[in-house]
Order: sequence, then C-alpha cells, then structure tokens
Amino acid sequence: MKQSFRGPLQVSTRRRALATLGGLALVAATPRARAFGEEGAFNPRVLITGNARWEGVRTSAPARWSAELMIRTSAPARQTPGTVRADDPLLLAEPFAVWGAEGDVPPLTDREVSGLRRFIALGGVLLVDDFAPEDGSFGRASRRELQRVVPEGSPIPIGPENVVFKSFYLIRRAVGRVEGPPKLQAVIRGGVPQIIYSAHDLTGALARGASGTHPLQVTPGGEPQREMAVRLAVNVAMYVLCSTYKDDVVHESFLKRRHSGEP
Amino acid sequence: MIRTLSLSADLGAPAVIAACALAALGVGLLAIELFRAHRPRGVSVRVALSGALAALGLLAAVLRPVSVVSTGTLVGPKVVVLADASRSIDLPGLDGTRRQSLERALAELQKRGNEVRLSLYSFGIGPAEPVAPLAVGVSPTFRVKPVLGSDLAAALESVARAADERPAAIVVLSDGRLDRPGEVAPGDATRAALGQLAIPVHTVGLAEAAPRDASIRRVLAAGAAVAHQPFSLRIEIGCAGGLSCGDIPVIARELRDQGQPVMLASGVAHVVEGKATVELSMTVERAGARILEISIQPPEGDEIPENNRRFVSIDVGRDRVRVLHVAGRPTYDVRALRMWLKSDASVDVVAFFILRTHDSQVQASSDELALIPFPVDELFTEQLPTFDAVVLQDFNAKPYGLDKHLKNLARYVKDGGGLIMVGGQGSFIGGHYADTALADVLPVELDKGRQASASDLAWFSPHLTEAGRSAPVLAPLRALLGDELPDMPGANILGDARPGATVLMTHPVRRTPNGNPMPILALGESGSGRTMALAIDGSHRLLFSDFAARDAGRAHGAFWDAMLGWLMRDPRFEPAVIDVKGGCIAGEDTTLVLRPLSGQKGEATLRVVRLGSGDVVRERRTSLDGSGKPVELAAGTLDAGGYSAVVEIGAGAGKGPTTRRDFACEKGGDEWADSRPDVARLQAIAAATGGKYVRAEAAGSLPLPPATQVAAERQVAPLLPAWAWAIGAAMLLGAHWVVRRLGGLV
Repeated sequence: MKQSFRGPLQVSTRRRALATLGGLALVAATPRARAFGEEGAFNPRVLITGNARWEGVRTSAPARWSAELMIRTSAPARQTPGTVRADDPLLLAEPFAVWGAEGDVPPLTDREVSGLRRFIALGGVLLVDDFAPEDGSFGRASRRELQRVVPEGSPIPIGPENVVFKSFYLIRRAVGRVEGPPKLQAVIRGGVPQIIYSAHDLTGALARGASGTHPLQVTPGGEPQREMAVRLAVNVAMYVLCSTYKDDVVHESFLKRRHSGEP
Repeated sequence: MIRTLSLSADLGAPAVIAACALAALGVGLLAIELFRAHRPRGVSVRVALSGALAALGLLAAVLRPVSVVSTGTLVGPKVVVLADASRSIDLPGLDGTRRQSLERALAELQKRGNEVRLSLYSFGIGPAEPVAPLAVGVSPTFRVKPVLGSDLAAALESVARAADERPAAIVVLSDGRLDRPGEVAPGDATRAALGQLAIPVHTVGLAEAAPRDASIRRVLAAGAAVAHQPFSLRIEIGCAGGLSCGDIPVIARELRDQGQPVMLASGVAHVVEGKATVELSMTVERAGARILEISIQPPEGDEIPENNRRFVSIDVGRDRVRVLHVAGRPTYDVRALRMWLKSDASVDVVAFFILRTHDSQVQASSDELALIPFPVDELFTEQLPTFDAVVLQDFNAKPYGLDKHLKNLARYVKDGGGLIMVGGQGSFIGGHYADTALADVLPVELDKGRQASASDLAWFSPHLTEAGRSAPVLAPLRALLGDELPDMPGANILGDARPGATVLMTHPVRRTPNGNPMPILALGESGSGRTMALAIDGSHRLLFSDFAARDAGRAHGAFWDAMLGWLMRDPRFEPAVIDVKGGCIAGEDTTLVLRPLSGQKGEATLRVVRLGSGDVVRERRTSLDGSGKPVELAAGTLDAGGYSAVVEIGAGAGKGPTTRRDFACEKGGDEWADSRPDVARLQAIAAATGGKYVRAEAAGSLPLPPATQVAAERQVAPLLPAWAWAIGAAMLLGAHWVVRRLGGLV
C-alpha cells in the first residue's frame, strides 16, 4: 500500500524564520548560558561510537529537528544539538540520543556498552536510524550491538496504536527519506519504547542545507513524504518529552473518535 | 473476748478420727450384743446407757478437751464500690442529676462503714481507677473527671484480677447505660468478667425515669469513608420520656477552617415507637480526619438540647491519591515528574500538558493532530474538588485562562487541597502569579513589581537548611544523597517565606529583598490545605544525570514520594503526632498529647484553632529534647465544636514543617446520645451474681457480708487434768461392768 501525501505546506512566518536561523546558527552556545528552562529542552544529541565522526549532509538534521519542534509545538528544544560519545558520562546528562550510520559498525567497546546500559537503565530513549535502509547493514549491526546492551529485549514492531504515533500528530505509518516499512520497531521496557529502530533514514529527511535546500531526495513521496517524516520526528520528540501522556484515558476516547473519522 | 472449746492440740487429726471411730465401734457392738441377748427392757437400757457413758469417758480421756479464750476485733469485709464516672452521670437522675444521686448513695454506704471496709473506685474507660477514700463525717462528693465511656466489664475484670485482697462483694453505682456489659445477656457478661471471683455484685440505680429527650443516638458510617466517593452515614434518632416526636429533620455538614460549615446531606427521620433511622449519602472530597456536624430539629419540650447536635470525627481514607498535573510545556522535568506519578500505583494522575501555543504552526488540520482542548474552566471549577492535589509545573496562568480561576484554586487549597508549584519560566513571577489570590496561599512571597525578575540563570547547588536536615519529609532523599544535591540550571526568583512556612532548601547566593537566603523549596499550610513551592525546573536531574546514576535515579522518586506524601499528610513525613487524651468533653479540661518523632528537638508550639472562626483559642509551648518522648499539654476547657491542633517544631531558620490534628469536642458525646437509664440491665447484673438491685437512696440497705473476728490474743487451758479424765473413764468403765453383771451379762 502506498502512502498518500498532501501537498507541501508553505510556512514563512517570522517565528519559523527565526527558529530556522537559530537552528542553523554556527555559534555554539555554552551549556551554562541558556535561557531558564532550556536545560530540560529536547536535545536530539547524536550518539558517537568507536571511531565514527559526525559529518556529512545529515549534520544539519538535529538542528532542523529542534527548529521544527519549536515551530510546531510548545516544546523547547536545543537549537544547536551536539554529539555525545557512548562512553562519555555526559550521555547520562539527558534522556535522549540518536544513533545513526550507514553500513556495518564495529563492535561497541565494553565502556560503550556500559554507558549505554546505564543510559537505558535510567530510562533514556535511543532512536536508532539507519541512514541506508536500502542496504540494511547498519540496522542489523545496531541490533547486534544493542543486544549486548539490553540482552533481555528484542525489538517488536510498533504502529499507529503506539504512543509514538500519536504523541502530537496522528501518524498512520512511519516514513523518512525512504518510505520503508510502515511500522517502526522498538525494544519495550516497562511498557514504553526505549530503543526505537527506524529503517527510514529519518535524519536524512530532516537534513537541510544552509540555503534552505534539502540535500537528500525523499523517495518515493517527495516533499509531502518529507513533511510526514518531519511529523514523525516531532512525535518522537514529544514522546521523549511527554512519555505516555497520549495514552492517558482522558485522551483515549477522543483519539479513537478521531482515528475513526468521527466528529 | 470469745470463749470456745477445742480438743487437745497434742493429737493429730488421724488419732482423733481413730479414737472417735473406736468409740463408735464399741457402742455399736454393745447394741448388737443387747439385741441378741433378749434381756428385759430395763436391763438393756441401763447397760446401754452405762456403756455409752463409758465409751464417752474413754474418748474424753483420749481427746482431753481444752478451753480456748481469744480476744480481738471485728473486721468488716472488703467491699469494692464501683462508681460510674461516665459523662452520662451528669444527666437528670432520681432527684437532681445522676451525679447527685451517686453522692447520696455513697453517703448511705458510708453509714455502713463500721461493718464493711469500702474501697471506692471509678469506672469508665479501661480498668477501675481508685478514688480517694470517703472521709468520715463529711458528706461525700464525687468529683472525678467524667470520661466518654462506661465499661463496667473492664472494671470488674481489673478488680477480679487484682493481686491484693479479694473483695467479699461489689457495689456498682450507675445509671445502667453501659458500654459493657451490653444490653444482651448482661448477667453472663458480668460473670465472665468476674471469672473465678464468685461474689455478689449489688447494683444501685442512679436514675429510673427517662428524661423527655429527642437525641441523635448513634452515627455509623456504612463502610469506609473514601474521599471523592459517595458513602452513607446511618443516623439513629431516639425519642424518650413521653416526648411526642413525629418527623425530625436531620442535616449533615462538614466543618471548615473558616466560614460556615458546608452542607453535605439532609433527610427526615420518621420516628416510630421512639426510634428512627435515616441514611444520608454524602461525598467528602478531602481525606484525613474530617469533622462533621450532624444535627436534628427536636420537637417542643426537649429537655436535653446538647444531644441534638453531634460533632463526629471521621477518618476519610483514599483509594488513590488523585493528582491533577498541569504543565505549561513538555520538558525533561515534566517528563520525569509524569513518569514518577504514573509509576506509583497509589497515584491516579490526570495530566494536561500544553503541547501547542497560540503561535505554534502545526501545519496540519485538526484531524491530523492528537491534541485535545485544555478544559481549563471545567478543571478548575467543577472538577477541582475531586483532586487531592494540583501540580502546576512551568504553567503560565495568563495565556490559557487559568488566571480567572486562581481565586477558586486558592479556596480549594484552604478547603484542604494540596498544591505544588514547580519551577520553570512559566512559574511564580514568570507565570503571572504575583499579586493574585493564589500567591496568598503559596509558602513564599512573590515580588509584585513590574520590573521584578522572574529567574536567575546561574547554575547552583541548593543548600539544605537546618530545618531541611531534620525534616522527615527530606529524610528519604538525604538517606540516598546525604546533604549533597545536584547542580541546578537556574531558579525562579522568590521572596521571603511567608509566616508559618518552612524553608527546606535555599539558594547559596541569592538573597530576598530582606536579605534572607532565597527559598528554593518551601512548604506551607493555608487553611486546611498544604502548599509547596519548588523554584527549580531541574529535579529531573535526580532521575537522569551522571549524579543520579550513583543511586540509579532513585533519589527522584524518593524526593517526590515524600513531597506528595507530606502534602497528603502521610504520617511518615509528619514531624509529630497529636492525640487528644481521653477525647474532648466540652467544659472539662482537655489534654493534648504530642508524640514527636525521635530526633525532633527545640521549642514546640501548639495552637488550638477553632474550626469555622479560625480563632486561635489556645497556645502552648514546650521543649523537645529529641528523645521522641510524648509530651502532655493542658489545653484547658473548650466549648463544643470542631478544633484543629497545629504544632510547629523549632523556630526561626530551624522551624520545621507543621503537623495538624482535627478533633471534635462535645458536651456529652456518646454518653449523652441515649439519656434513658437502663434499670433492667442493673437488675440483671445483680441477679446473675446473687446480688441485689436498689435505688440510690436505699444503698444503705444492701445485704453486705458480716464482719470477721480477728484474734489478737489466744489462751488455751485444759478443762481437767489428764489424770482426772483417766480416773473418770475408769470409774465409768467400772460402773458399766457392775451394771452388766447385775443384768446377767458377763
């Protein structure tokens, strides 16, 4: 089944522009000079393992992610997200990180396994994004390595019934730079997804150059699909910030009606 | 002096028995001999008489009787008098009050003082309490403090099991309206209470006729009262003394700290044969000890108005703590608090987070959004009382219309609700709470100036105050972290703590306009409710940070569990417990018992506040040494009504959080609920133990056991010397021999 998309949305408000500019700002703010409340803001940190380096066209994606979150929602976000190493104690500073790559990755070191294990044990959420899902090497490698971190957890598919798909937008299927499978996969711990696997190159769909152009084509849906990818990214962020809020009883009946198209 | 005869003391009992048996055997053999010999009647009679005399002579020679002369005094038996000390003895009695009847009965018994030894005890709650002996020549008075109970069975048990001299009889002075023995089989219950002590229990009635009285006889909760859930109160109405009762209106109201009581339910009791029962269904929104006022409208001629209104303390439990969690925007701090609230099975959380602002460009139709309207009006009006606590986290009051409900929210707190304001850019001054009704219930001052700063961006590590180091509410956190707290990313700017509030954490650098360290965590009481101000939005760093990893993030749960527990008056986090010793009787001295937690020391100030008016009617101070020993504080006499006892431990910077106990004070309580005396019960108690029932004025006629002679000197003298007994026996034997020979018997 092919996902249908609506046309691209044109937004050019002052806030969006400022946020976008902010997201692209090259001046990195020091961690201790933010506005009050920003310490608890969403921060899509990129997880670095082994000798990997964070470079390439996707490096703009985290800032875009933050910018889109701030434009579309009330959530605060770090405009200049950084990176964090898996064996760095700073991994435990915040409860979210994105691990993305293409191709196979070398085995995690014991220190990295230990760091990630503590991160997961404290309740952190890790998004694992395969930048080359067509190949699937990273997807397999990351599952292999994370099995060492959480031996008791095997990923299972999660779809529209899961809170990740309704934490802000009502999303019927997952998409990224590629259409990929309709569902994400996740390791569920304590009833909530803690490791979310995307075989859609979500980061690639978010990437945007300094000129505002998108360096990576989104296939097969084009810009409408990119919009859906942005919505999925926003939902992941809102899930990280609100946990299972949208699973509350008070929302349930409302969302059921909306899912079924009732007024 | 008493003279008696006895046997020689040098023979043991077996020898005496053997001698008597031999004498009887001799006489018996003689009778058989005479029967077989067929002698003339006159001969047989003479032989038999002489033989019997000879046998007696021999017996006397063996036993040698002695004369005993003893001198001593008559000692009356111990008689225990159990006087009813329950509050009901101040109701009308035989002539005057029942207390006056009791005093008359004591005067009558006093007249028997030369026959019996009277030991006067009072009974009410628990074992019998000794009362000062009745003074000779003085009209007895009974000035024992009345108690809210009349447990005769417990008093009888204590008398029966006492280690000292056992009484020969018990006299009970009462109106018969007893807690135990009950109305059913009181005799059996009395015998059971006495156990092995088989003595008569005489009863003396202090009243016989019921006064003209309509009253609330009993208030019973049908099942446990749980906050937010309807429960029923079963109210029994009585009508006695010939008072004409038809339909009696009944209302139930809840006393509040200030203002008029709140109507909970009303009904009408249809009195048939002097009794009626009405069930009132009601819902109480606040958990804990709540004081309800139950009242009836009595008919004309009611003689005891005090029992037409009852103040009842009911413990309202919680099924789960119902928390409204409202967040102005989703952050990691919101996430952490929500995760803790959801993880606690005892918490029922209803959450509303603002996920989009008026400026947000969602770029989707509403059908594509999982957003629901924020029902601010519904939540903060009709739904508000259904919550035990409200958490406002980083929530700006203005944009979402909360500002118009702040008065209502403040009233909710004063009526017993809990409020937590958690820091963030939309909290305190930044959330437009300064100079509002809600600011008045917060434990800290908020700067009202237009130029007031909302936040300080500098990182800091909060300092624990002296109170924070000793407060039970921070004990779980300190057990994990000690005095070290993680660095926090800035703080909301707060003013001084309000009077009565307790500051547990302060900013290490910032000062209030008055120069005091700026509060970071402050607790306060407002009306019946409690409030908490936390001027940081970084408590999530107790859950997720390198610092938090040391204890696997448990410090976050420990902190919030204690905060919510304190807000809900969980005894684990109270610095002390307050009890009312023996209950409170209006017009009588009341004693409050303060039971501090071990380690709580310093000056403790206890205030008794009248519910409704909010007036402080008593203030007492005491010093606590940290040992945790209970301290009794005299609160003097109080009028009927509901009261709140609030205790503060420490002073100045060391002042810890307060604790509170609500209690009711009644003129008669349960003891006046049924004013009818119960003569039948007293009669049954007497009959079951071989005692006698009399009215108070006839107490002197009770059949008490006789006095006992107690010897002081004893003289023993033989009636005859031993040789005289021997000669006498020999002569009688000789005479018998002669008579036999003359009768033809060898």
